[in-house]
Amino acid sequence: MTATSAPARRRHEAPADKPARRRSPATWVRGGGLSNLIFMLPVIVIFGVFSWFPIVRALLMSVQETNLVDTRFVGLDNFRYVLADPLLWTAVRNTAYFAFLALLFGYPIPLVAAVLMSEVRRYKGLYSALAYLPVVVPPVVAVLLWKFFYDAGPNGVFNTILGWVGLGPYPWLQDATTAMPSLVLAATWAGAGGTIIIYLAALTSVPPELYDAAEVDGAGVWRKVWHVTMPQLRGVLFITLILQIIGTAQVFLEPYLFTGGGPANSTITILLLIYNYAFANSLGGNYGAATALSLMLALALAAFSALYFRLTRSWSTS
Amino acid sequence: MTTPRTDRPAAVPPGTPGSTPDLAGPDGAARPGEYPSPLEVSAQGGGSMAGLAERAYLTRREGDAARERRRRRRAMDGVADRGAVSVADWRRPSVRFGMGGTHVLLLVLLVVAGLGPMLLLAKFAVTPTQDILRTPMAIFPNGIAWDNLDKAWNEVQVSKYFFNTIWLALGSWAVQMVVATTAGYALSVLRPRYGKAVQAAVLSTMFIPAVVLLVPLYLTILDPPLLGTSLINSFWAVWLPAGASAFNVLLVQRFFDNLPREVFEAARVDGAGPYRLFWSIVLPMSKPILGVVSVFAIIASWKDFLWPLLVLKDPLIQPLSVRLPAIAATTDKGVFLAALAISTIIPVLLFLVFQRTFLQGAGLGGAVKG
Amino acid sequence: MKSTRRAIALTLVGALTATALAACSSSGSGDDESADGRTTLKVVSLLPGSEPEAIDAFNEQVKQFEDANPDIDVVPEEYEWKATTFAAQLAGGTLPDVFEIPFTDAKTLVENKQIADLDTQFRTLPYADKFNPAIIDAGTGPDGHVYAIPAKNVYGVGLHYNRALFESAGLDPDSPPTTWDQVREYAKKIADANPGVAGYAQMTQNNTGGWQLTVNTYSRGGRVQDVADDGTATESLDNDGTKEALEFLKTLRWEDNSMGSNFLLDWGTMNEAFAAGQVGMYTSGSDVYTSMVQSNGLDPATYGLTALPLDGGDAGVLTGGTLAAMPAKATDEKKAAAVKWIDFFYLNKLVDQDAAVKDAQTLVASDQPVGTPVLPMFSKEQYLENQEWIKDYINVPLNQMTGYTDTMFDLPLVGEPSQKTQEIYALMDPVVQAVLTDQNADIDKLLADANKQAQALLDQG
Repeated sequence: MTATSAPARRRHEAPADKPARRRSPATWVRGGGLSNLIFMLPVIVIFGVFSWFPIVRALLMSVQETNLVDTRFVGLDNFRYVLADPLLWTAVRNTAYFAFLALLFGYPIPLVAAVLMSEVRRYKGLYSALAYLPVVVPPVVAVLLWKFFYDAGPNGVFNTILGWVGLGPYPWLQDATTAMPSLVLAATWAGAGGTIIIYLAALTSVPPELYDAAEVDGAGVWRKVWHVTMPQLRGVLFITLILQIIGTAQVFLEPYLFTGGGPANSTITILLLIYNYAFANSLGGNYGAATALSLMLALALAAFSALYFRLTRSWSTS
Repeated sequence: MTTPRTDRPAAVPPGTPGSTPDLAGPDGAARPGEYPSPLEVSAQGGGSMAGLAERAYLTRREGDAARERRRRRRAMDGVADRGAVSVADWRRPSVRFGMGGTHVLLLVLLVVAGLGPMLLLAKFAVTPTQDILRTPMAIFPNGIAWDNLDKAWNEVQVSKYFFNTIWLALGSWAVQMVVATTAGYALSVLRPRYGKAVQAAVLSTMFIPAVVLLVPLYLTILDPPLLGTSLINSFWAVWLPAGASAFNVLLVQRFFDNLPREVFEAARVDGAGPYRLFWSIVLPMSKPILGVVSVFAIIASWKDFLWPLLVLKDPLIQPLSVRLPAIAATTDKGVFLAALAISTIIPVLLFLVFQRTFLQGAGLGGAVKG
Repeated sequence: MKSTRRAIALTLVGALTATALAACSSSGSGDDESADGRTTLKVVSLLPGSEPEAIDAFNEQVKQFEDANPDIDVVPEEYEWKATTFAAQLAGGTLPDVFEIPFTDAKTLVENKQIADLDTQFRTLPYADKFNPAIIDAGTGPDGHVYAIPAKNVYGVGLHYNRALFESAGLDPDSPPTTWDQVREYAKKIADANPGVAGYAQMTQNNTGGWQLTVNTYSRGGRVQDVADDGTATESLDNDGTKEALEFLKTLRWEDNSMGSNFLLDWGTMNEAFAAGQVGMYTSGSDVYTSMVQSNGLDPATYGLTALPLDGGDAGVLTGGTLAAMPAKATDEKKAAAVKWIDFFYLNKLVDQDAAVKDAQTLVASDQPVGTPVLPMFSKEQYLENQEWIKDYINVPLNQMTGYTDTMFDLPLVGEPSQKTQEIYALMDPVVQAVLTDQNADIDKLLADANKQAQALLDQG
């Protein structure tokens, strides 16, 4: 995409509609200055008010203490406060654990499913539809439904079903060790279909000639999958990996609705901690600490993004 | 993949995977009109100029675009050119039975995982509460409680919250469309001198994860500049910030960059001003990318939770995602599950009807994201 | 043609800002006056998702008020005070004009200038000086002005139990437990007889874990906070009462397995579970019956209430309550309207016979509870007189609550900790959760850690 657009733009350099040098308001309008501005206005206003201004404000707030009425400069106190909070490290650990489990469950399963589905010869649409169905369920509904399924009593839905084969009852969300895997399982259910469809789309772009060539070399099915399909998916696999890490680093919905961060803080995530700093204290939020922590998280994610850019650039040029 | 469910779309940096087709530009774009575009109707009123543009564009792209299009369409329809398993492979018994068996197994798993929870939900929606609590998996030991659905619809008023959900999505979509298309047009076609600076400022926000904005944006909504009145409890509190999506702007701008300039020149010679050029030439030629942006916008709004939770406190305007958790503890279990079922059935039906569009959108979404 | 299209395009690009501005001005829901000059007053109605009959009864009361005060337009808003959502609503200005807060929060809100001074308007009430001094003090600022008015639900914590579950376990529902040992024994019997049911359950989330652990601590003679005369506060979460309370929970959970399987409960979800027959016994404010009928469809026949078991010399019953307050920016006009509403809806029915009867009639007409036991806001005599007025309308099963009502005037009441109450409750939640979800939880260490953090909060001032 970049590779084609850059020369394309150069080709069209210096179009006639470039604003003429401004002499008077009238010539400015005639030269298209006004219409330019009108078209620029939405992006400038919307980004200005709802993106640029809040970003600058975040930087300011991270070194301030405010109760919305009085505001004072406190230097790096907010950062010190956050770093000294024992919950921070719990939240960081939990978030990393969530990301790890999400990769463990959510990365290989869609890949295997997509590779298998791409070989289906009849009713392929049925497979895709079934796989994608959970994605259509509104996320909050999915969480509330699974929360009900996860009822830890012997009469819970999952426990009843597992009881038929002599398993359980399991505590699911009600135990510090099983709560996080339960969250991730539900999240994977809700999200895997989307990834499968993305992989399926990527699989169709594998040039058939490569398979033909592999067959000439006498490659079997497994070798073809391993040596032709996988390398061709490398790019999309890497991108979903990075996007998933960036996404899971900001996970909120599942811990908030399933467990509220419990039991015993075992599912409190960074974003939930930010939310708690800012909004959960009945006597007023610690906005400074919340923005300080979100800036620290942003910094970590920016490092990820930079890595992503470096790697994708080296690939697209290679 | 576990959905990266941030509550506003995650900062998705642009990039070019070596292997995915370039769907964002017209080179890989399908025929205009293939994607449902809300601008279609108005664009048709655009008259001959748009038709001319479309024809010129199509002729120019016929060669490679058509090939790519056919291939992708067939792939989406489930008739891939071919995969790793060749026709010869299929003839080998080990492959046929191994693969066939795996496919049956896969189908069973997909039915259990994809359909199972929804069938259960459908069952619980009409099960009396005490049966749900005591014997959830017994098949209606004490009859069917149809009135769960009635109560969910009338007392819980799922209908109202569903409408709010739709309304939120539509508004967010409209704002995103306006911002993305006008910005894309200004940055790509009009290119005023300050365009570069604006573009840099827009792109730089991609590197800021949504979480940084949470608190300051909330405070901005409380006390927006110039307006002098809080936007809390107003749909605008959700709609307007949704427009600040650098990803949309980038997608649209890149698409516009690749539109044939000859057509613009021709239109200018015919006396079209910047507004006409935008409305009658650029927009009609851009239906594919507008479709992609629309899919993103609707999906993002559909998934949004934290932001509406913070800014929509008034129950009358809350979407389902905010309302359902709020009443979970005070609603009879059977009625609550019926409410969940109703909230699910509508999007599922929409999905089944527009299945191909959905799956294409999702596939495209992935490819474009990549 | 060209000009029309240009106009359309202009409209499109301009739409954003223009409509935004237009809509904002019209969407400002905080208008002080309606078009006809009436004062609009947003008030607390019921919990989200309440029963239709409860909503009917409430709307009827609104109508009565508006008929009597034609210049006030009452707009009911559903509301639930939750520690974890209140601040955002306060900061966001989305609270009703008259909202409810717990006793624990008023002093700090006054200090932070976040709630309005209602003293002038409050003093106009004929019974303004008749309040129980301890209760009126909860909403009084350092300047002696009343900022938050005691409104309803002055509760002592009681032990709520499910009579049907008692019977199913072979227990006599008319002789509920009186000691913690009995609670343990009964809980075990209920859980054994009813698989999947919690014999005894405990709140753990949204600060209710800390609240109830404090209740349990008091009932065993412990205290969690000490405020010296000079105002310095010392936290003592590692006291013997708290330890004993947690050991008790640990035994029920891990030795008897009589606490069911859900350990992430807060006030609302606990009520839901109890009303659904999933909980044998639990502790909460004595007034919670009303809410369970209004919002959870509780079957009155299964409900029982008895006094909290007390153990040890200094044992006490935690008491708390609800105050009505207004945002700091409230205008005098609104304040006047608000105090009229507070008088009508919360207070006058306690002191005025006609109002009491009228209120009871309205509630009974919609099958809403009348006569739920609460603690007297003025005096015992006045409370008994009030009960006499509405005697014919009382529809709550008082004979199933005698374990509580027989002793309610003799309870050794102890108020909630006064400094950083909710923040420290929040620190205690995970402690209770840990004991209930981790068999190897080290109670001493958990309490020592929580105590250290709580003390740090207190030292911050």
